[in-house]
Amino acid sequence: MSRYLILVLLNIPLIGIALLNTLVTYKMGHISLRRFVLKITFWIIILAGLIFIKNIYTFLFSRGLTQTEPLSLFDVVQITGVIYIFHLVNRLYVKFGLLERKVKDLHQELSIRLTTKK
Amino acid sequence: MSKLRVAFIIPAYNEESVIANVINDLRRGLRTVKYNFEIVVVNDGSRDDTEAVSKKAGAKVISHILNSGSGGATATGLSYAQQNHFDFAATLDADGQHTTEDVKKGINIMLKEEVDLLIGSRLLDSKGMSKVKILGNRGLTIITFLLFGVSVTDSQSGLRIFSKRSLNELKWRTSGFEFCSEMLWRAKQLDLRIKEYPIKAIYTDYSLLKGQSNWNAVNIVKSLVKRRVTELFGE
Repeated sequence: MSRYLILVLLNIPLIGIALLNTLVTYKMGHISLRRFVLKITFWIIILAGLIFIKNIYTFLFSRGLTQTEPLSLFDVVQITGVIYIFHLVNRLYVKFGLLERKVKDLHQELSIRLTTKK
Repeated sequence: MSKLRVAFIIPAYNEESVIANVINDLRRGLRTVKYNFEIVVVNDGSRDDTEAVSKKAGAKVISHILNSGSGGATATGLSYAQQNHFDFAATLDADGQHTTEDVKKGINIMLKEEVDLLIGSRLLDSKGMSKVKILGNRGLTIITFLLFGVSVTDSQSGLRIFSKRSLNELKWRTSGFEFCSEMLWRAKQLDLRIKEYPIKAIYTDYSLLKGQSNWNAVNIVKSLVKRRVTELFGE
């Protein structure tokens, strides 16, 4: 099987999950429309990059911008890893933001309620 | 018609030595006013006796379990005022730098004019303020304008008066001193009517020691830039 195909097959599910998560977080009201558009654009660019990976690689090699032609197995692992890290960072960013807001609200509400009860 | 109710919110962190004076001065000065009022101290996780001293002085005390910063304490106080249906809420610094006369003057302006957020500006008449303080405050005010497009003379003033609409709608994300600038930005986004009036600032040795150093302004600017950039990409 072509390594380009392996790369695409490995990463398409990741990108699919990322796109789905972005849609769900937007629909749940956790992110604004602007952030939603930015995230979707980001993942679509990565998806497009993956689909045209062979052409991109050929172009880079012809300009002397990469020495590894054809795509090595290490490149496949590396690119998949980078995409996975993007995905994780995005999820963590949203989760930390939500958690921070919840803890702040909880602390505030708890302080008021404890005072009122006394 | 029910009587007007005003909450005076004092966020305090380790202020046991001055908080009783601030509460007593305020109560004494408000003796003749025609509205009902409550003095609320938000004890922001102090390690000293701020809570006990404030209670003894007759204030309502809301105690934070953890220290969450000036912005967090102010948000808690205003949330209390909103939940208890106060008509106005005023925030004051706990170091005694605001005079009761200025506080009363602010409430009178709120009663006469249609304002949602009234800011007591120390820089409209900066007599008595050190040059370093003026420089720091002006710098932060310019940065507030550049980042958020809000034009005021004193973006860091602790004396602010909020209308019922502000109490219901105005929320901010930062919890440190940078909330002063962020609050103005949120007010602008909500199209709230912002106004300033001149106040005197009393600087004692204590308040100078406790007050913000200009170096902290660097942290404030960093947080404000971070918030602005984050929101530029939506949130």
